[in-house]
Amino acid sequence: MNAATSSDAAPAAAWRAEVDASCAYPVVAFFVSAVFWLLFGTVLALLASIKMHTPGFLSGAEWLTFGRVRPVHLNTMIYGWGSMAGVGTLLWLQARLSRVRLPLQLPLVVGCALWDLGVAGGSIAILTGHGTSVEWLEFPYGWSFLFAGIFVVVMAASLMMFSARRVGHVYVSQWYLFGAVLWFPFLYVMANALIHGALARGVVQAATNWWFAHNVLGLWFTPIGLATVYYLLPKVLGRPIHSYYLSLLGFWTLALFYNWAGTHHLVGGPLPAWLITVGIVGSVMMFIPVTTVAVNHHMTMKGHFALLKVSPTLRFIVLGAMSYTVVSFQGSLQSLRTVNEVTHFTHYTIAHAHLGVYGFFTMVMFGAIYYIAPRLTGREWSSPRLIKIHFWGTALGMAVYWIGLTWGGILQGLAMDNPDVAFLDVVRHTMPYLWSRTFAGVLMAVGHVAFAILVWRMFTLKGRRLPEPASAPVVAMAGGAQ
Amino acid sequence: MNPIYAVVWGVVALFGVTAVYGLVWAIRSGQMRDFGRGALSIFDDEEPVGMVTDAFPGGQTADGETGDRS
Repeated sequence: MNAATSSDAAPAAAWRAEVDASCAYPVVAFFVSAVFWLLFGTVLALLASIKMHTPGFLSGAEWLTFGRVRPVHLNTMIYGWGSMAGVGTLLWLQARLSRVRLPLQLPLVVGCALWDLGVAGGSIAILTGHGTSVEWLEFPYGWSFLFAGIFVVVMAASLMMFSARRVGHVYVSQWYLFGAVLWFPFLYVMANALIHGALARGVVQAATNWWFAHNVLGLWFTPIGLATVYYLLPKVLGRPIHSYYLSLLGFWTLALFYNWAGTHHLVGGPLPAWLITVGIVGSVMMFIPVTTVAVNHHMTMKGHFALLKVSPTLRFIVLGAMSYTVVSFQGSLQSLRTVNEVTHFTHYTIAHAHLGVYGFFTMVMFGAIYYIAPRLTGREWSSPRLIKIHFWGTALGMAVYWIGLTWGGILQGLAMDNPDVAFLDVVRHTMPYLWSRTFAGVLMAVGHVAFAILVWRMFTLKGRRLPEPASAPVVAMAGGAQ
Repeated sequence: MNPIYAVVWGVVALFGVTAVYGLVWAIRSGQMRDFGRGALSIFDDEEPVGMVTDAFPGGQTADGETGDRS
């Protein structure tokens, strides 16, 4: 094992500097790749959104048709942006919390390059008409072996750090990180084996598909996102989490309930009623972990909201944590058959999915990168103005997106349930909401470009040098702990 | 029988055993005791409770103000 432990006697700043330095190349590689895929996925998102209200837009080329552009957007955001930002954050967090140097640095950098190759190859395959049409698993089967292999390296690095840890106590974030690194490879391999291995066919394939797709958010992005919030929120504020007991209760109840929820995507479908009911029960039980997280985050922030003006990291992770609460309660209610009758097959579902992956997870990852990157490079972010453009572009964009499609989706659902309304009239009535989606996408794109400029300047060392190698801007806050 | 069934059930068993083992280990090793100390484990002498550890570049606030925010 090359997870060299830093000396017990070393001052805290010194071991932090050592740990951060060991993370530099792999974590920067994952972050830079993630931001590239974020920009690429944003372009495809805008194309897909415009095609929803202007179907003739760029329709001359078959590789730019909606049926190809949309899955490439989804897969580049899930496997490119989200997963790569998540892995970078996961590695840094695990090293920090275990207080050991990051092992397997070269295999991780090589793994990152191969991951990029996989996302690029899978995207080209979809664009050239070789996608699988299995939602969230559209990359051709062969690429899954590559991703599975890289997951093994990430899992090995995480377990090596844990086994060499210098801290006896396992902080709550580490439980969530463990969940992510153990659950997601299992999910990914099982879903690929069952669906592409031809064991799951017909309605069983649909059930497997949604078990997987729902759990990409629940057992991969959610644990990484919550691990990040549970570390950065108290760390930035300088005050411990409100109730540590609740945080652990939240983890174990999430572990117990989330895995069951996927079949709520198939309410009304030709599956055994008990199978869908199990999914609904699992979804409603998620009120328990979500409430623990919501109470904990709010009570930890209480009395300290003024710090949102001080810390870019805090802005993004607080917005992300609030979105988590909203999207989770919304998801539990949405799984109920009476609600689902209206919202199923409408834009409401798209708004909900984006509030989860973007409003929650992406916002938390933005916050994490704002915190981690200066500690890896020893440089400050180059422009407060660009940070503000990034925040307001993405926050307002997400708000417009969610409000527009949620409201439009409800109206769409009610109209579709009314046999007196012609289907094409329903489509026409959704037009203003689809335009609001494109407008929201432009706002988010502006934010992403600002972020990409900042990240480029950060990793080309254009920012002002920080006084201490391991210390990003630190503000002494008298009375910060209350 | 298709060999993939063996892989599927093998991984299901491994996953379940790992989760149960994790919970049992956590209880036996005292991870579920002394929650107050657990919450403080991310702080130390150089980044103690009471220290805010993130700020806009130059220590500015979002409004462009600088200086002591204690």
